[in-house]
Amino acid sequence: MRFFTLLSSIVLFTIAPALAQDAGATRADWPHYGGSPYSWRYSALDQINTSNVKSLTPAWMFQTGDYAENLQATPIVVDGVMYLITAQAHVFALDAATGREIWNYRYPPVPRNIPGFIGNRGVAVADGKVFFGTKDDYMVALDQKTGRLVWKVNIDDARQCGCNITAAPMVVKDKVIVGGTGGDGAHRGYITAFNTRTGRLAWRWYVVPAPGEKGNETWKGDSWRFGGGSPWLTGSYDPALNLLYWGTGNAAADFYDTERVAAGADKTKDVNLYTASVVALDPDTGKLRWHYQEVPDDIWDYDSSYEVVLLDRQIRGRMRQALLHMNKSGLTFVLDRATGEYLGSFSVPEVRTWIAGVTEDGKLVGRNEPAMGKTVSICPSAAGAKSWNSTAYSPRTGFLYVPVNEMCADITPNDHPADEGKNYMNGDFPFKLPPGRTTYSHVDAWDPVTGKRAWSMPYKYVLLASMLATAGDLVFTGNPEGDFFALDAKNGTKLWSYQTGAGHRGSAVSYSVNGRQYIATPTGWHSSVVGALAQSLFPDQDWRLGSTLVVFALPEGSR
Amino acid sequence: MSIQPKGLIVAVALAVSCPAQNVANVVKQGEAVFSKTCATGYCHGVRGGPSGAPRLAARGFDQAYIDKVVRQGVPDTGMASFSTRLSPPDLVAVIAYVATLNGIVNPDVSVDGAGDAVSTRSRLTGEAARGARLFSEAVRGFGRCSTCHEVGGFGIPVAAPLAKVPASVAELMALRTPDVKTATMGGESMPALVLSQGKQSAVFYDLTSAPPVQRNAEPGSVKFTDGSSWRHSAFVAYAPSELAAILDYLRAVIKP
Repeated sequence: MRFFTLLSSIVLFTIAPALAQDAGATRADWPHYGGSPYSWRYSALDQINTSNVKSLTPAWMFQTGDYAENLQATPIVVDGVMYLITAQAHVFALDAATGREIWNYRYPPVPRNIPGFIGNRGVAVADGKVFFGTKDDYMVALDQKTGRLVWKVNIDDARQCGCNITAAPMVVKDKVIVGGTGGDGAHRGYITAFNTRTGRLAWRWYVVPAPGEKGNETWKGDSWRFGGGSPWLTGSYDPALNLLYWGTGNAAADFYDTERVAAGADKTKDVNLYTASVVALDPDTGKLRWHYQEVPDDIWDYDSSYEVVLLDRQIRGRMRQALLHMNKSGLTFVLDRATGEYLGSFSVPEVRTWIAGVTEDGKLVGRNEPAMGKTVSICPSAAGAKSWNSTAYSPRTGFLYVPVNEMCADITPNDHPADEGKNYMNGDFPFKLPPGRTTYSHVDAWDPVTGKRAWSMPYKYVLLASMLATAGDLVFTGNPEGDFFALDAKNGTKLWSYQTGAGHRGSAVSYSVNGRQYIATPTGWHSSVVGALAQSLFPDQDWRLGSTLVVFALPEGSR
Repeated sequence: MSIQPKGLIVAVALAVSCPAQNVANVVKQGEAVFSKTCATGYCHGVRGGPSGAPRLAARGFDQAYIDKVVRQGVPDTGMASFSTRLSPPDLVAVIAYVATLNGIVNPDVSVDGAGDAVSTRSRLTGEAARGARLFSEAVRGFGRCSTCHEVGGFGIPVAAPLAKVPASVAELMALRTPDVKTATMGGESMPALVLSQGKQSAVFYDLTSAPPVQRNAEPGSVKFTDGSSWRHSAFVAYAPSELAAILDYLRAVIKP
């Protein structure tokens, strides 16, 4: 595919770069889910680097004791204190240098009849508080110093909406902002903001517009009421533009579009707004500033919910305020983050059957759609070319580091009617491995400007842990067999590996306390959704559960 | 983690025999419930095959075990309790269907009467069913009754349970939330529904805006005074005929 050929011929002015080379980097702290609000998952610390990583050794471990559903959370580190949340919302404040517990808070057990999967991907720390969402769909604020409950507010009736919170919230100025799950059910997704001090609702932006709102005309009949789109992960923020970026989920019903898409709809234009899109909102009001729909009429369960990576790069001779965004299909978009203009795209999976390609202006070509009365083999599967685990971006190499899975699914649609809060996927989609391969995942380094893969490290099974990049030119991640490893960021050479004793489904971070750099990774396999689905494809494997944070550093005195 | 049939406790009424045609109909209903509720791709596979959750067909499960797992769920897994998420007939049907997947040719299909308020709601018809929907429908946002009231297993229990169903729409609209006080904290006053005042903390709902926020104030940091200008305002979100339907719903699910 040719890249960036559709640049405007009018280059009358240049935009000064808003981001310095390492503006999206973290340093001593790891203050946000994505590291910085630019979601790079990149640490500027370089004490641990390619020359000494072979000496990396455990410094401390912390066992949470909550083995419900592994440890998925991104630890947050602020001023030498780490804030960690488990699947069942047991929150810990730990001395980040030693693992000593400072306080803990146990959210009350959620009644068994609350629907939804157990899981929690992290807290947000700001305004003297620790914020998290819950399985029974509350936003909760704890006192950062003591762990005392300060306020809690109901986001939605989980039993009614079939929705809840598994994502880490994000704080922008005086608001704590979160997106919910539920978009595979009959539900209308939203991003919602609460005042950090009072817990009062600040705004709620519905992904699916109501009648009278722009975009509602892209929905057939009253299908907008249960159109899905739940933005179930965490966004990014550009303070210079004062824009909040978020990815939205799939349209519902997932695999059957007759109820929601008018016959003969032009799928080279927006269909079922604002599902499967990247949106830019005003964080103060929740008003939509621009949108870019990646998958019009998403009929493959290809959410656009994943992380939005903000970066400034020279593209065709012009410095652009860009963003990088990977759709669940692995199709990765480069957009102008001030305007939403399409700048280019590249596709990361090696096996792709859902489309034939993408035009130079970003339109999908050769859609291979599931259809009633048929079973269609689609690659990648609804588990995604990448799952919710995050990419990482290094400004030193300019590469986006991506854990890619090669899985397919046989999709057979059905036409069950919508029933609020109940499953509305409308399809069976057993997963399968693509034929003729011996490896089913790879860690890749992609150059977002050229759209070319710089290197790729294959792996036999699946990769479902986030990437961490550092200024030591290292890339860290873990595999389901329990290995946590470091690759050379420039060429993918494996430089170090440590068997942590349980599979990896979490997000590693780096931070420092008193000048010592640490690498911390959650461990523990088990994941009711994609983890279990993936494991079912490898029946001889017994990937181990767990819920332990393992923290590495160079040996004392070796620095 | 695999589900093993061990530690069976639940006794199912086995004595009732039904005509074969009825069993076939119930199993067919169970297949439809299974397809919509259980074989959802991320969970069990179609016809009990493997998918995200374990295979259910040909596992040698007996019906009592299936009954227990469906009703109670499996702790610490994605298998939730369905006792309040399906109506009693649907529960019995899906249990019977999974039994047939395990070679039980003539499963027990008697409804044991274990229904609760939630399944009561799913059995409602006419105006009461419409009222149930109006009570909690998402499209009304926080203007719906269920923002502050839990009835029939749905809604958020901010307000105390309704002791008595109002006799008429006029009586419903005349209801006042008792004991709304004024909380003063950090120089700011707000309408408050006090939950507890102890040595550790004062817990109250801040009713300033919907949804109400539960605040846990440190002792001495909040002062409550009787009375408030706050008034229940959600009625404006509903037409009188809709309120009448909601009353029908309340009468159907709230036992005197």
